[in-house]
Amino acid sequence: MSIYILPVIIVALFLYAIVKRVKVYDCFLEGGREGLALVKGVFPYVATIYIAIVLFKVSGLSHHLATALSVPMGYLGIPPEITELMMLVPISGSGTIALVEEVIAEFGVDSYVAKCASVVAGGSETIFYISAVYLSKCKVKHLNRAIPISLFCTLLGTVIGCALCRVM
Amino acid sequence: MNLVFTAIVLVSSIILIFTNPSEVFPSMIEGVGGAIDLCFKLCAIYAVWLSVLKIMEKTGLDSGLARLLRPVIRRLFKGESDESEKWISVNLASNMLGMGGASTPAGIKAMASMEKGAKATANMDLLVVINATSIQLIPATIIALRASAGSGNPSSIIAPTLISSTIATVVGVVLTKLFSKDNEDNKPSITQKLKMKLHDFIKRLKTKNSTKSKNKKSGGRP
Repeated sequence: MSIYILPVIIVALFLYAIVKRVKVYDCFLEGGREGLALVKGVFPYVATIYIAIVLFKVSGLSHHLATALSVPMGYLGIPPEITELMMLVPISGSGTIALVEEVIAEFGVDSYVAKCASVVAGGSETIFYISAVYLSKCKVKHLNRAIPISLFCTLLGTVIGCALCRVM
Repeated sequence: MNLVFTAIVLVSSIILIFTNPSEVFPSMIEGVGGAIDLCFKLCAIYAVWLSVLKIMEKTGLDSGLARLLRPVIRRLFKGESDESEKWISVNLASNMLGMGGASTPAGIKAMASMEKGAKATANMDLLVVINATSIQLIPATIIALRASAGSGNPSSIIAPTLISSTIATVVGVVLTKLFSKDNEDNKPSITQKLKMKLHDFIKRLKTKNSTKSKNKKSGGRP
């Protein structure tokens, strides 16, 4: 069902554009031009974040931090496997998906840990990527409190998600 | 951001010097390589979605969407222009529908149009927080992943995901409203603010109690 939503919306939009006599071809030309400019602005932010991500992983720092944090996180009801996922979630979308796949392969798809991993990954966003990329067209280079607030809320969402997985 | 980046890069590099010193520069370059791959993908996604957004703009659909969502957006983002409201509504609507490709370009445009002066405004913070704690109606990628792994009930995660991410977003909005304020010359730190808030709260409790017990004797306190 849900696979039809997007295509239907797009077709409806094209039809509406014809009714409104909007030049669709010209719109796509402009879209392509803007897209290129946008990526040019976004690139330094993405590159910088990726350097940090790769170093973070290759050095094993993410693993060490996750192991160290898994004890206090355990008190909040978060399984140790989810702690590592939680550290990856704010920085890398593809990394998150890969780790969820790993957890599913290791524990079985309908296990408690795999369900937690799915909930955490499903309700999360790459905070550092968003907060950097959204500023790419602004002169302002720093947000005030958005990053700590978002990180705290993600932690809160993870705790609630893991708790809900026990009962639902 | 500078602090986080420097800390991660510094600590990682120090660890690598002890464990695998030849990996420091290759991994940094590998990182940028990954970023270039991503940017190519993003370029394709943006080109398509920005074209779609352009059609929406030319047909006036985006203003219609903004009018539809205005009651909510006006309340959350006070004092923004029509232009900003338009992009915010496109950003939030596409986010909820799972059209991630449309939400990022709309979000970038919204941020650029909300910018005032040399500091990020509270509303800019709010937009980032809402996006970063995004309420997703249907986490399609994860459900597909679970289905392909042979789950007995792949969509069983929808309810817990929706509930936990909704709570996260609501708390995020409240915290941003509390801690991210504009035009403060001598900004108190977060801890100071927390203390002030707590103090206020206790004061209010005391006033309430005393008005109850003394029966309106101590009314009209500041």
